[in-house]
Amino acid sequence: MRIAGETIGARGTAVLAVTAVVAIALGAHGWSGRNSGLPPNGLSGTGLSGTRPAASPSPSTPASQGPTAAPSRPPAQGPTAPPTPGPKLSSQSYASYAFLVWPGTPSASAKAAEIGLIISVRRQGTGLSVSAGVAGQSAPTAKYYPTGARVYVIEASLGDDSGNSDYNLGDDGLVVTDAQGRILQ
Amino acid sequence: MSKNAGWATKGRQASPAAAPPTAASKALRLAADWGPTVARVMLGLVLAWFGYHELTAPRLWTGYVPGVSPASTFAILLVLAHGWVLLMLAVAIIAGIAPRLAAAVAALLLLQIVITLTITGGLTDLTLRDIGVLGLAICLTGNARQRAALTR
Repeated sequence: MRIAGETIGARGTAVLAVTAVVAIALGAHGWSGRNSGLPPNGLSGTGLSGTRPAASPSPSTPASQGPTAAPSRPPAQGPTAPPTPGPKLSSQSYASYAFLVWPGTPSASAKAAEIGLIISVRRQGTGLSVSAGVAGQSAPTAKYYPTGARVYVIEASLGDDSGNSDYNLGDDGLVVTDAQGRILQ
Repeated sequence: MSKNAGWATKGRQASPAAAPPTAASKALRLAADWGPTVARVMLGLVLAWFGYHELTAPRLWTGYVPGVSPASTFAILLVLAHGWVLLMLAVAIIAGIAPRLAAAVAALLLLQIVITLTITGGLTDLTLRDIGVLGLAICLTGNARQRAALTR
């Protein structure tokens, strides 16, 4: 068979056919797991796409100062109903992509993972107020978590960050756990 | 064309009248003969890596789809289709199945990616890296001599 001046023989056709079937099988696997792999409050759910320039974290609310908040959650109104502990972060498939933001000083990897995002953690009463959003977008909302909460930024691929921009927010997210490492819903 | 399993080995033949080749000239000849094949394999590996991951974890890639909400099902379907094409191109390029045509299609895909990234983020290191891969695909599109190509 000749296409655009090049010959594709029987063996080539067979190889391509096998590849097509394997690729379809892989795609079916990916489709079946399309709702897993990232925390439910992944930043891809914000309807944003493309490169987002990273803005500097608010000087008054750096991540090392306070609590976390999921961008899709309603604004925090203070210490109301405590979040429910869920499964352990270590048991999740994205655990290896989680970088600790709070408490302590974020590592270089965590800072790289934060590119394109605004994550704010601050003490509020006996707990933490946490907010996270996409740089350059509307101000992120905040949520209240009890003392002892740990905040992680999820970044499946640091390779999509360039300078101060994150090309792909689809693999970013934020997770807050309690002191035992259980994800707070 | 060789007689073994349909693998073409069209390459530069040594001239019997030429002076004894030096090590440098041998290396250059080896590079000239097999460089395009090595380039094919490397470009194919890049495409295969991205194709595989787009197929197995499409949600992580929806942020790259222009003009579509990353959270939408449509974006996931587009990523899956893109991954399927990338994997097919990767195998075709590595195995040498219509390699110039496959490289041309890959060049078009990469051109679209470069244009999209440039529009959305400007000329950054990521964009320029893709420009390099695009150049490799264009180079292979214009290369008529292919070793280890599956022509049968």
